[in-house]
Amino acid sequence: MKLKLFSLFVILGVILSACSGGGAESTSGGEGGDTAVLILPEEPTTLNFYLADAAIVRQVADSTSMTGLVTIDETGNFVPVLADGLPAISDDFLTVTWKLLPDLKWSDGEPLTSDDVRFTVEVLSNPDSGALVGTSGFDLISNVETPDDLTIVLTYSEPYPGYLDQFAYGLFPRHASGAPEEMPSWEWNRAPVSAGPFVVSSWESGKSITLTRNPNYYEAGKPYLDSIVFEIVPEPAAQTAMMLNGEGHVHLWPGEFKADYDEILNGKAQQYLIPGIWNMAIDFNLSAPFDGDPSEAAQHPILGDIRVRQAIAHAINYETLQQDVLQGSVGDSTNPFAYGWYKCELPRKHGFDVEAANQLLEEAGWVMGDDGIRVAEGALYAEDGTRLSLELQGYTAFDPLQLTEEFIVENLKAVGIEARIQNYDFSIIFGTFEDNSPRAVGDYDMLIFDRGFTTEPQGYNFDAYHSSRIPSAENTTGGNYFRWVNADVDAALELAGTSFDTETRKAAYCEVGQAVIDELPQIYLYLFQDNYGIADNLEGYVLNTWGSMSWGVQNWKFKAGE
Amino acid sequence: MSTYALRRVLQTIPIVFIISILLFLMVRAAPGGPLTAARRNPNISKEQLEAIEERLGLNDPLMVQYGRWMGNMLRGEMGESIKFRRPVSEMIGERIPNTLILVGASFFVTLLFAVPIGILSARKPYSLFDYSMTTITFIGQAIPVYWLGLGLIVIFYVTLKNPFTGDPLFPVGGMNSRGQEGNLLDTLWHLVLPVSALSLGWIAWYSRFLRSSMLDVLHEDYVRTARAKGLGERLVYYRHALRNAILPLVTLIALDLPSLFAGALFVETIFSWPGMGRLFWDAAKGRDYPVLLGVVMITAVLIIVCNIIADLAYGWLDPQVKYE
Amino acid sequence: MNEALTTVREQSMTTLILRRFFKHRLAGIAVGVLAVLVLASLLAGLSPYNPTDQEPTNHFEEPNSVHWFGTDELGRDVFSRILYGGRVSLAVGLISTFLSIFLGVVVGALSGYFGGLLDATLMRITDAFLTFPTIFVLILLGAFLREQQLFILQNSIFVVIIIIAALSWMWPARLVRGLFLVLREKEFVAASRALGGSNTRLIVRHILPNCVGPILVSGTLQMASAIITESGLSYLGFGVQPPTPTWGSILSTAQSQIFRAPWLGFFPGFMIFITVMAINYIGDGLRDAFDPYVIHTEK
Repeated sequence: MKLKLFSLFVILGVILSACSGGGAESTSGGEGGDTAVLILPEEPTTLNFYLADAAIVRQVADSTSMTGLVTIDETGNFVPVLADGLPAISDDFLTVTWKLLPDLKWSDGEPLTSDDVRFTVEVLSNPDSGALVGTSGFDLISNVETPDDLTIVLTYSEPYPGYLDQFAYGLFPRHASGAPEEMPSWEWNRAPVSAGPFVVSSWESGKSITLTRNPNYYEAGKPYLDSIVFEIVPEPAAQTAMMLNGEGHVHLWPGEFKADYDEILNGKAQQYLIPGIWNMAIDFNLSAPFDGDPSEAAQHPILGDIRVRQAIAHAINYETLQQDVLQGSVGDSTNPFAYGWYKCELPRKHGFDVEAANQLLEEAGWVMGDDGIRVAEGALYAEDGTRLSLELQGYTAFDPLQLTEEFIVENLKAVGIEARIQNYDFSIIFGTFEDNSPRAVGDYDMLIFDRGFTTEPQGYNFDAYHSSRIPSAENTTGGNYFRWVNADVDAALELAGTSFDTETRKAAYCEVGQAVIDELPQIYLYLFQDNYGIADNLEGYVLNTWGSMSWGVQNWKFKAGE
Repeated sequence: MSTYALRRVLQTIPIVFIISILLFLMVRAAPGGPLTAARRNPNISKEQLEAIEERLGLNDPLMVQYGRWMGNMLRGEMGESIKFRRPVSEMIGERIPNTLILVGASFFVTLLFAVPIGILSARKPYSLFDYSMTTITFIGQAIPVYWLGLGLIVIFYVTLKNPFTGDPLFPVGGMNSRGQEGNLLDTLWHLVLPVSALSLGWIAWYSRFLRSSMLDVLHEDYVRTARAKGLGERLVYYRHALRNAILPLVTLIALDLPSLFAGALFVETIFSWPGMGRLFWDAAKGRDYPVLLGVVMITAVLIIVCNIIADLAYGWLDPQVKYE
Repeated sequence: MNEALTTVREQSMTTLILRRFFKHRLAGIAVGVLAVLVLASLLAGLSPYNPTDQEPTNHFEEPNSVHWFGTDELGRDVFSRILYGGRVSLAVGLISTFLSIFLGVVVGALSGYFGGLLDATLMRITDAFLTFPTIFVLILLGAFLREQQLFILQNSIFVVIIIIAALSWMWPARLVRGLFLVLREKEFVAASRALGGSNTRLIVRHILPNCVGPILVSGTLQMASAIITESGLSYLGFGVQPPTPTWGSILSTAQSQIFRAPWLGFFPGFMIFITVMAINYIGDGLRDAFDPYVIHTEK
């Protein structure tokens, strides 16, 4: 019976696939008519980068609407795109003069002129535009002059170091968008008229976004491909299966580790890793949990003692975690400043050392109990007889995080510390004070999650480490969830926030980084890398930390003869 | 009977209102909001987030927000998605046909297999046929839909190929191959795996129920009477027994019918099928309140309506059933 | 005197039912299988490895003579994890299904038998429960339970069992009500009522036995989904947290390894399958045992 059912399936498949025109068309190889398929795990909400609340938007927008005056290349340098060279900047840093390439056109054939740059400034400097990202510095532009169709002269009210970055994320066409204050509801957001290599030709909700080559693209002969299709495939195994059958060419964030992936897709595709910004750490609550007081007033009975935190840091086998548990898919990280201009190369002070961990715990008044878990006997804050048992919180549905938790639980057990995993939904872990999110109201012991920040780290770090940012009923938005108070750190953060000198600022951040390593309000574990699966027959793919899966799509083509 | 029907329908109106309040509160009381993900985005400042919250009216008192939403609903407007900035009705409208195709086809296949299997199993209980059907349907029930789907992909998409063209035997994603939109055979080809994954579990439910209630009915007095009257076994079986055995099945169908609208999340996810299940799930994860409430409310109304229909069908199928 | 007589009658009734039950040969085997499963998970402590001991350099080992079921992503012994996992999964599957069926039968029977206002009230409550989106009920419960300091309300299997039962009683309730609506009009019920049978007696002794078949089917099928739902609960932040193994959680972690280590999903899936099969045949046996009309055709 089972066999019959099975052969029925096979016959049905053959018949239907024959009748339906041979199934998926061959997409690779040959000259012309080429389509590359890019696999996305979820659907972008918009193709307007400035309205993006998630990284997924840029993965698609980079191929169409995000073609601007400059871009950041794979080496991290600004290179001109629609601009005729990098702009001239006056000696007082207040006047920037951009020149456009001649004869630029929008994808609908209309000329792209200096007026469109002016319009872009008008939109992004409008406080009611609804833009979420990419607006910084636009309020500093006090005057825009367009003496001719190719020249834009910008006057800044004060020097702005990010004057190139501002124009790296795309321009708006005045004739084909809408009023600046209505940006969130522009039709342009789903079908942008752009200067990019591809133009949206269809968007089937929940299924796919198809883009065809822009006939008016500024680089002659490019893009090489005729069309690209972003397929929305939520199931990771189905994504890998598509790559296996050659029905996908670029695979965003594959679920398998590189070694496994390359083995499964041997000869068809490989996984590539580039440094990312998500930095995984365990946060400690230094104040007493569940005492109804979110402030730093009372010490955490166990974690309030720095020797316990040091012992925990010594108990973790960082190398095995990074290389074996996560199979080398992550890089080492010891402090918050792990990349960018502010990167601080600080060595790990409390490395893996079980003996040191045990010794510190003995010193701190935690003696081994009968069940292999230590109990307090003369500890600093804990009453005698307290078990050395801590809750380890994290968010659910993220495999690397759970693997890390399970590994650390075993590490801690080896030195007599019991860690109980308690994972919550994303919305609870990252919820607000009003939501009673455990970290906001201070009702947690240890919390493990990844955090990241961009080229300007001041806002995030001031919020996370300054003692004035400890959350409480009066200060609900504070982000110092450790309840960490350190006067030197406060001073360093204040300095970093007022100085214009990059070296001074970096030194100040590194002081904060060193204090984190010394006092251990948190332990940094590793830095995630971004990963892409790329079909072996796709040529011209360039990985770019500052780009996305479709950055440089105009240079892609399929290898001949395959 | 008709007074009962009328009363049921009238009862429904206040119930729907009460349920709408409960659902609204439930969705809004859950921690997190449409901006939870944005809050983790290092590029977005807290001030920007607060401004957006204010603009979306998320800081107004809940009852004011409910009033605004209900007022719009009564005028037939479901609002605009917070995330996609598109009318909710349009977003739901796009998904309804997809879901109807997938769930409808699965329903059809389910009944096509389950009814004969159930009847024949009951006809000769403990026969080889009965045992093998039990085992097969139970494999379908015991394997989570998720695994069933993945297994089908591995076998029929990755491993087995069409011997003539070398293409995968069945496709894994979506409703059509590129360039084949509107080709019915192509859609059918795309339907085979998701429908198999979805209906196998349902076939188990339905066929087991039918078998069991057939066995019960076969000992009833009227069946024995019919037999005693010398009616042919076939006639007894299909005229008298089946009609009564179908009653519990009506309840089951009434409970499952709303999924024609609500979709089937797991199967839609594995097979990249753009149906209602995924629309709801994405909206739930992102707390896209207008979309979420739109889907939840329509589903709720459908559940209530289907249950009314089931109750009425009872009276129609068995005149003995009284509602007093 | 009277009491003694009843006892004798009950006793012979029990023997009769038992004899009938074991006449269904597969039911007998199923009892044996289930007993082995329960015993194996109770005696999981005898397994060769600790279910949480890791050896990360030794992950994804295929089944072999050292690790019978292979090792998982952290190099843990899958055989030991399956044995320990059975504790939670069997308890959750059996008890939550029992509770859900019990609650469903009570609501359905009262509603179907008495009808009228009681029926309307109970059924509207059932409707409301059916319309609540499960995911939000769970998220809210998770948030609520987090703030409770009672240990019994956090992370315990007890909570998981209650929640699964609370989310699934509506199906049996609707089903039983439907059956009662039909059965209460039957001649034998009318006859018993005329003879002065109390409502309780009518419900329990006369109508309910006639619903045993569909109820049992509903129960066996619900059990599989209860075992799987359990792992879904831990994804939503309550229920059994890692690293404690359950069949459902082993199954759901194996999902992302379908190409790398397909056997990882096979073992827990197979355990759920044989559990459900065993329960099903026990159900069949019980059905025959309680059904006075069944003439066994098995040779």
